[in-house]
Amino acid sequence: MVEDDRDVRQAIAEVLSDCEYKALHASNGAEALERLRTAPVQPCVILLDIMMPTMDGWQFRAAQRSDPSVKDIPVVILTAHADADTAAEQMDAAGFLMKPVALDLLLGIVERFCAVDQP
Amino acid sequence: MSQPGPKPPFGDAQLAIEGIREYAIFLLETDGTVASWNEGARLLKGYAKSEIIGQSFTRFYTREDVLAGQPWRLLDRAVNEGRVEDEGWRVRKDGTRFWADVVITAVRTPDGELRGFVKVTRDLTARKQAEEALRQSEERMRLMIDSVKDYAIFMLEPDGRVATWNPGAERLKGYAAREIIGQSFSRFYPEEDLAAGKPARELETAAAEGRFEEEGWRVRKDGSRFWASVVLSAVRNEAGTLVGYAKVTRDLTERKRIGEAILARAAQQAATARLGVYALEQPDSEALIRRAAETVRDTLGTEVVQLLELNAEGDRLILRAGCGMPPGAIGRVTIPFEGLGSPSRPPEPRSPGAGAARRSPAATGGITATIHSTARAHGLYGVLTANSSTPRVFSDDDLNFLQAVANVVAAGIERRRMEEQVLLAEQKTLEERARALQAREALRERDEFISVAAHELRTPLTALQLKLQGLERGLRAGMREKRGSEANLETRLDGALRQTERLSSLIERLLDVSRIAAGRLELAPERFDLAALVHQVADDFKDPAAAVGSELRVNAAQSVEGSWDRLRMEQVLVNLLSNAVKYGAGRPVSVKLDAAGDRVRLTVADEGIGIAPEDIGRIFTRFERAAPLRHYGGLGLGLYISRHIVDAHGGRIDVQSNLGQGSTFVVDLPLAVAPGLGAGHDSPQARA
Repeated sequence: MVEDDRDVRQAIAEVLSDCEYKALHASNGAEALERLRTAPVQPCVILLDIMMPTMDGWQFRAAQRSDPSVKDIPVVILTAHADADTAAEQMDAAGFLMKPVALDLLLGIVERFCAVDQP
Repeated sequence: MSQPGPKPPFGDAQLAIEGIREYAIFLLETDGTVASWNEGARLLKGYAKSEIIGQSFTRFYTREDVLAGQPWRLLDRAVNEGRVEDEGWRVRKDGTRFWADVVITAVRTPDGELRGFVKVTRDLTARKQAEEALRQSEERMRLMIDSVKDYAIFMLEPDGRVATWNPGAERLKGYAAREIIGQSFSRFYPEEDLAAGKPARELETAAAEGRFEEEGWRVRKDGSRFWASVVLSAVRNEAGTLVGYAKVTRDLTERKRIGEAILARAAQQAATARLGVYALEQPDSEALIRRAAETVRDTLGTEVVQLLELNAEGDRLILRAGCGMPPGAIGRVTIPFEGLGSPSRPPEPRSPGAGAARRSPAATGGITATIHSTARAHGLYGVLTANSSTPRVFSDDDLNFLQAVANVVAAGIERRRMEEQVLLAEQKTLEERARALQAREALRERDEFISVAAHELRTPLTALQLKLQGLERGLRAGMREKRGSEANLETRLDGALRQTERLSSLIERLLDVSRIAAGRLELAPERFDLAALVHQVADDFKDPAAAVGSELRVNAAQSVEGSWDRLRMEQVLVNLLSNAVKYGAGRPVSVKLDAAGDRVRLTVADEGIGIAPEDIGRIFTRFERAAPLRHYGGLGLGLYISRHIVDAHGGRIDVQSNLGQGSTFVVDLPLAVAPGLGAGHDSPQARA
């Protein structure tokens, strides 16, 4: 999860944790790239905010797609901007979510990309 | 004694005479019978010698002459006078007549006895005919010359004295023939030409070149001048000797006058056309009417030209332009206006007779033309007058010209009026367009604000919604049964509560914008220690600063007591510090508070991205930020609100910044908020 707002990050982490997902957090694109490259397990989906300091969503997506080790991880745009669909298309994202996002929608998207082993 | 016949009375000489063909030479007896006949006589009169010898000479005379006794009278005279000469008609054998020159000489013996007559006859018919033709020709010429009234045709002696005079000359120059014949022709010339020796020079030229021709002024007997066309021709006899000059003079005064009138009209038309072009090019009505007055003055040569405008009441004319007027008269001189006589008559500008342009009744010589305008009283913009200080007769052309100029002025003024209306309409359109642009800009600004505000609101709303829905889901799934669920629930509720506070704060800031815009930013001043507040807010920013790697240095005096709105001052501090941390690029941020006299100075400085000079002007305005939106969220309202809070306290906020080297914001405040301040600067009375 790449999101500069600490509260949003924390809220998403909580609900994902409730559903037994493990999430990696980053507050901007640069941090996210760093996390991805050092992660022991590659995430099955990246939730990506667009408007962030240091490295924004567009820059992150460009860097990610040029890195073979992480380029295949699907990206879902998570943004407060009205034109999320256009941005998602332009960034060749797997999907998009509009803030404020409904929990069901968020979980539905995550489920689609992450096959959860039922306990 | 009487021996007519074979023996010629003059012996051998007679033989010679008989052979002469050019003259009829014969002898008559004393009784007039023909005694001899020569060849010339036969050829002239047609009789053979045999036919005529012994016949009376009377048969050579016409019937009238014979009846009148003319033959015998001639013989008597020859007897008495010795000889007689006569010219007259004679008759040939065939009855035809010829003009004869006859000389009859009496022939006498040495003792004086009359023996007879010698008659010599010459045929003068050809000469007579030529003479007659000449006489008739001269007569015709004389009649012709006499009948010519329009030309002075006369002869000059070689020395220039007048030799002949015709009625045309009399009519043209005023002299009767008896007055002028024998006088020098130089009296026909003006003094200046006489002084210049012109008459003599003209004769010389005519003598040398056969002819002299010119147009020039000549003088009549009464001293008046006329414009003359003169042709002076030298007249020479067969030997080439100059015998005089023929002079033909014609009065061209009328033709010259007409020519000058045509020229003047052409000049007037050209002047009108130039003024028309000027009217098209010159947008200024004042300049046009000035030019119109000058055009009239220069073209008509009138010293005084006035262009007068009728006032709105239609009872006075005000001088708008003029030539020959004292300085300062323009706009001051007014004349009562009593109408044009027939204001109801439709204007006919091209026809001066129709009451458009009129001759002034004044003898000084003035003309007036009307400048029509449908937008004015009496349908009249005003009048154009031209006056001559000396008596002068104005022609119809002059009147037409003045009216034409007036019409150009009328058209120019009318055009200007319409242009002004168009301009006004265009200006209105432009203003409306500007208002529309402004409205659109305001709309765009509002849309952007809404978009930014929506974005900013969605962020805490996202967190809040996820937390609340997560809680709800957890509750449904029996979260309580989970380990540590009580504490977890409490944490989550706290988190949700924090999001609602964030939302409230955002909404509050949006409301601040409304308050500022409406001039209702209210202050609630209270005494407190600003230094303590600075420390407190700085403490709150320690963690966020540390999170981005910035060291937060606080340098505040021990205690700075004053009277301000505590919450608003906190808002300013939070704004400045959050900006410093946000744009501080992880470098140190310093906060400083100084008090000096009754002023307090708060300085917040960072060493971050800084602000470009071109952006400094707009950072304190609504919804503006120098940093790109994609990297830095936020409403862009912080500095705008801060500025208004500081303003409301009677202080000011300034920034110094260099791109890439950080920014320093300085807030200068009075120790206590001044009474009467406290509201937005737009409406000071709104303070609570």
